[in-house]
Amino acid sequence: MVLRTSSERLPGWRSALRNSFLFVCAGTLLAAPASAEIGRVKSTIGIATVERGADKLPATTGQQLMPGDWLETGKDGRMSVTFADNTRFAVGPDSRIELTKFEYDPTTEQGAFVAKVERGSIAAVSGRITKTRCGGQTGAPTCGMQIETPDSVLDVRGTRFIITVPK
Amino acid sequence: MRPKATAICAALLLAGCAHSSVVLLPDEDGGHGEIGIRQAQGAGAETVLNQADSRATISGSYPSIRPLGAKGLKPSEAALLAALPPPAKSFTLYFREGTTQIEPESAGTLEQIRAEVASRPGAEVQVTGHTDTVGSDADNDVLSRRRADEILNWLASNGFARAMMTAVGRGERQLKQPTADNVSNGVNRRVEVIVR
Repeated sequence: MVLRTSSERLPGWRSALRNSFLFVCAGTLLAAPASAEIGRVKSTIGIATVERGADKLPATTGQQLMPGDWLETGKDGRMSVTFADNTRFAVGPDSRIELTKFEYDPTTEQGAFVAKVERGSIAAVSGRITKTRCGGQTGAPTCGMQIETPDSVLDVRGTRFIITVPK
Repeated sequence: MRPKATAICAALLLAGCAHSSVVLLPDEDGGHGEIGIRQAQGAGAETVLNQADSRATISGSYPSIRPLGAKGLKPSEAALLAALPPPAKSFTLYFREGTTQIEPESAGTLEQIRAEVASRPGAEVQVTGHTDTVGSDADNDVLSRRRADEILNWLASNGFARAMMTAVGRGERQLKQPTADNVSNGVNRRVEVIVR
């Protein structure tokens, strides 16, 4: 019945507010604020970049990812990424991967994820999004998880896998 | 020209990198899913890769599927697998009725969450508050959000950046133990924390 009021901890609130304000400022310099975050970079080795529109940003741990981003690695480059539905990627060297589409409702755990492996390799563990009920239409283009390669379309139904696309 | 081209093809085949391939692996918890493979163009038939530890090599119209066998993964593939981020971890904290105070037995869980966040580079923390069915829906929406905020604030006071954390309240919409309305239930009065 009794809620603790936040007034007894005002000093903490104040400094926390200041901190979050600083973070928001730093964030707007790096990222377009309009679209929603879909995942984050967890690790990078060697040359690893995130391409967003005309911008090429060096990938950094904790970096937010947006729909339409390209993940690119150099000859000795690597990066790992997690997504909002718990999908996980490890991107191998000499790769170009597009995060074409990612729409996910965390409450219903339904959505659609389309990624494109133009070249290179990924290891992946699929997340909640592959549990999306697609109304019997498995393989429908806007439901569950699809990975496109230059010559094929892969419909991922809940699993761990590795895709390699040579140059 | 021609012999040279043949030699390059042979080299590529030997290197095992001439064609795209998909390897289906067992899940971390033992089972496995499946992958449907179609050609990029046209509405061709789907080939289903549904045996764990098998490889589909994609060349021509139909993929050919073979077990990985004794050779197993290529070294580059094994390295990639090892580079995957760890799976997300979930925690549940329980609350005293009508308050944002955690039950004493959840104190240890709070400490585990702190340690987990600290151990993960680039961590994200998703905090979701819930209530039991005592009280109105509107009050419970507010209370569940305040429970989530309480945990988020505690983590922030332990030095974690607010930019890595989100808090939402779901009121009494997602009961862990379904009950009638106006039933006090300690299992439903909770905050779920996902560390990714």
